[in-house]
Amino acid sequence: MLSVNQNSSSIFDMIIIGAGPSGCFMAKTFVDKGMKCLMLEAGKHFNKNTYPTKEIDANSQLYWSGGIELNKTADIGLLRPKVVGGGSIVNQALLDPFDDNALDSWREVSGISCFSREHMDPYYKEVMSDISVQEIPKQYRNGNAQIFEEGFKKNGYKCAPLVRAQKNCHYEKGNDCIECLSGCRIDSKQSSAITVLPEALKNGLSLESEFEVLNIKNTGSMVFVTGKDRYNQIRTFKAGHLTMASGAIGNSKLLLNSKFKNKNIGKGFYTHPQFMTLGVYDTKVNAHKGPFQAMKSDDPNFRINNFKLENVFAPPVAISMLLPGIGKRHSELMKKITHMACIEVAIRDKNPGRIKVNSSGKVIIDKRLNKEDKNSKAKGVKAIHNIFHATEAKEIIDGSFLIGLHLMGGCAIGTSEKNSVVNPDFEFHGFKNMFCADSSIFPNAPGINPSLTIMALSKMASEKISARLL
Amino acid sequence: MSQYLNKTQLKALTKIGDIIIPGDKATPRFSQTDFLVHIDRMIKYIPSDDRSGLKLLLTLLNFTPKVLIRLLLILTDYNQKLPTLLGIPLRLIQIGIKGLIFTLYYSNLEDKEKSSERIYQAIEWETNIFTDEESMTTNSHPPKKNFENPTALEVQQIYADAHIANKHIKNLSIKQRLLYISRLKDIILKRKEDIISIIQKDTKKSRSDALISEIFGVLDYLHFLETDTYKALKDEKVKTPIALLGKRSRVYYESLGTMLVISPWNYPFYQAIVPLCTSFVCGNSTIYKPSEFTPLKGLVEELLVEAGFERDWIQIVYGEGETGKKLIDGKPQKIFFTGSVGTGKKIMQQASEYLIPVELELGGKDPAIIFSDANMERATSGVLWGALTNNGQSCTSVERVYVQDEVYNEFKELTLTKVRNIKQMIDTNGDSDIGFMTTKSQVSIIKDQLEDALSKGAIMLTGQEWNKETIEIPPIILENLNHDMKVVSKESFGPLICLFKFHDEAQVIELANDSDFGLSASVWSADKEVCDRVTRALDVGNVSVNNVMLTEGNPYLPFGGRKLSGIGYYKGISGLRAFSAQKSVLIDENSKKIEANWYPYTEKRYQLFSSMIQGLFGGTLKSFIKFLISGLRLEAYASKAKRH
Repeated sequence: MLSVNQNSSSIFDMIIIGAGPSGCFMAKTFVDKGMKCLMLEAGKHFNKNTYPTKEIDANSQLYWSGGIELNKTADIGLLRPKVVGGGSIVNQALLDPFDDNALDSWREVSGISCFSREHMDPYYKEVMSDISVQEIPKQYRNGNAQIFEEGFKKNGYKCAPLVRAQKNCHYEKGNDCIECLSGCRIDSKQSSAITVLPEALKNGLSLESEFEVLNIKNTGSMVFVTGKDRYNQIRTFKAGHLTMASGAIGNSKLLLNSKFKNKNIGKGFYTHPQFMTLGVYDTKVNAHKGPFQAMKSDDPNFRINNFKLENVFAPPVAISMLLPGIGKRHSELMKKITHMACIEVAIRDKNPGRIKVNSSGKVIIDKRLNKEDKNSKAKGVKAIHNIFHATEAKEIIDGSFLIGLHLMGGCAIGTSEKNSVVNPDFEFHGFKNMFCADSSIFPNAPGINPSLTIMALSKMASEKISARLL
Repeated sequence: MSQYLNKTQLKALTKIGDIIIPGDKATPRFSQTDFLVHIDRMIKYIPSDDRSGLKLLLTLLNFTPKVLIRLLLILTDYNQKLPTLLGIPLRLIQIGIKGLIFTLYYSNLEDKEKSSERIYQAIEWETNIFTDEESMTTNSHPPKKNFENPTALEVQQIYADAHIANKHIKNLSIKQRLLYISRLKDIILKRKEDIISIIQKDTKKSRSDALISEIFGVLDYLHFLETDTYKALKDEKVKTPIALLGKRSRVYYESLGTMLVISPWNYPFYQAIVPLCTSFVCGNSTIYKPSEFTPLKGLVEELLVEAGFERDWIQIVYGEGETGKKLIDGKPQKIFFTGSVGTGKKIMQQASEYLIPVELELGGKDPAIIFSDANMERATSGVLWGALTNNGQSCTSVERVYVQDEVYNEFKELTLTKVRNIKQMIDTNGDSDIGFMTTKSQVSIIKDQLEDALSKGAIMLTGQEWNKETIEIPPIILENLNHDMKVVSKESFGPLICLFKFHDEAQVIELANDSDFGLSASVWSADKEVCDRVTRALDVGNVSVNNVMLTEGNPYLPFGGRKLSGIGYYKGISGLRAFSAQKSVLIDENSKKIEANWYPYTEKRYQLFSSMIQGLFGGTLKSFIKFLISGLRLEAYASKAKRH
């Protein structure tokens, strides 16, 4: 944990707000080119030995607002990571490049030509070469994955093994990965905190963790970033340039609270709303044993209908929250937790949400599903029911609320200031010294896990930016 | 229990918890578990406005009938089908309240009742989590740092974390710090029987000894901290003399930084909790090394975590003398040591390298002085308890008993009768007076002292049955002794009582003071004046009159010794200040005024200053007026004085 000297009045070349995958990839390029960089992160800097081990602590310490944030209508729970490494610490490390469908639609909305496989592929390749990527070998797939595969086969759906950023999960030793959602204990998950960040730190990056940025002032030639450090002291850092990498909600909130004028800030917010459904079986499924996630849908028909399915599971607190009932009903269901299989549908949401701030600076999220979105969700849930029926589930339980894990948009990229926030050179419209390439620039929901594309875009952007600056 | 929720709100949570989780054969009811003590692990991270909403909701629910709450909770399952206006609050209850309850119930939290174990068994949740440290563990994880015989490098890490922790603790107000103390107090009270068993295992003392000295003593002291810390540590106004008229003077009591506490094996629980909590309320982070003989391994950490202390606020390091040395090399801001004179000297020597201040509470050879007019029933019972409590393994044990010659025989016979009724065993129900010796090394010291005394003519009145090898040393009463014997000049730290005759007050004062130690003493007499004279004449730090070992029973009294018995005072207001750093502050106004004593020094200024001093200390009204006049002139001159 590095701490910047309190009295240091030094001026950095670049301040990076947010230590998630985007911030880490950008920082690495910048320091490699010799820039003096400071990275500010609101979350803590854990390592494999210090990640919280209980769900109570993981929820509280790895996410904003003590675990979960709700949209205005309180029907989507947003999980927004707050930790050095960001989403790459708490996600399931799934790496999928965008398909033509996603990139074509981005090109169309934004008017930017680089959104094509031809342009993206070199960056995808480069990112994948920086980290270890594996499929879960067939012999280690657990009961949950087997039900998934069998149900797909019986219904004539197509599925495929997941591609995960992982190195050595020790399945052969009987390791159960279920706690990997609160940080990997064995540095197998290829989070940015153990891949690119250590190299960036070695090459001179300063990292100030537990520093919550509250305000940004950009004079055009100089950026002043003010926030609260871990001792609740207000401090201001200065730099020539600024990279915003605190995600859809983080970036939008900061820019709005700092009174940036662009009226598109906060607009076009997407979350790939996810909905988990549980199937209860007579025999034990043991979904929590071994790799808890191994398969995904790979069905063109699902894609056309704007949803995808994944086999997932979660530890007891999270499962208990999904189950209906109280008292005896609840307790009987919990006792069947090892008999449950779980499949989640994630929809490619079409209805844009909006991120706003109220007078005290608090984030208000207006995000609803429209008819089309609800329709996608219903089709996905129907497919899950078909899978569970085909595999002789005794009972099917639909989870009790939607979850938003892929937080995208709010600072959309585009050619015109009229309908976007960031320009094709990854600069904020009107500010030559302020950049962004994280999930907040997504112009719509791709319907595919965003993490690999965030890294690729950040790599592309940081190279472009440093080439221009130096 | 919580820094954020009040009793009503906690009560509401328990009530709702029991509705959601009423328990059955296999699983405990929510209120049967201890999980609510962990509530702040969540509440702390909730943004303050959400927290206010939650508090309001809980307060309301506390006054809502159970039937209605049940209905609301059942309705939450249908929230999606209800209109938004109704759906939103239901969903907030679902995620907020149910979320809190389920998170506490299913997080596999640390608890004494083994509720977590039962719950995980009932839902058959079992995982093997592989870590790099151990090849395989089941739901348990190694500590992030090494606290057992750490290397110098690992000690550095411990100190680095302690320094960060100190900044954190300093930022807590005294009121906030005391919330942790109150929670700890509640937990100790609740778990006292189980704590006593752990103490007994390490020390081999009787249950009653542990209950009285360790549990009661600790709770009493924590209560003192709750009531008096603020008084001791608040900013203090002090006088400002007339020559400094217009200025204000203050003393601030601030955090020292990181304290190192090293404790002995005789009262391992008391000697842990009391200094650790004192240090904490003073705003320090603390590194603590318990004795390697009685580490009570894991107990204090567990209690602290349960009370909500952050791991790095108080770090417990296990090891022997070598580890202690490494910890001193980590350069704490102060060392608090309780233990033997020998180790105390070594610590002071090593600390002097870095000029680290030390507070030493060392041994004693404490006298009891019984005058002929003392009540013999009371004095014999008191002396017997003072000599034998904790099997004599207290620094303030009565080790020398001086009885006035005319009542010597009466005192002796009564003591012998009473000592025969002492019950000695490691009990399980409280029905035993004393236990056994804690360490083998102390046994050989006693054997050596005893053999030396017997070879020089001492007479053994009891305890002849002891084989001089085992830890089961019975009470041993000796007479016909002199001050050249080791058993009289050196600390015994065992159930030994040395009886002496004395003739008059002057003689007994000389005898009692003829010792390298000066810790505590007791004086027994019906004559208050005699008691007062003797009390004042004794060269010791603490005296109990017509009682024994009782100064340390009052947490408001400071405790410390003279001569080889130690340096400094802890407990009471003095103790809190000893664990703090004082800062003297003088506050003046921001004005254009130039002070009388600033440059330039000129002949005129010299004369004015001189006559002002004459006036100030002249002692008459006339001279005081002179002081005022020359003071005013000096002030006027100072603002325009220039060197020509």
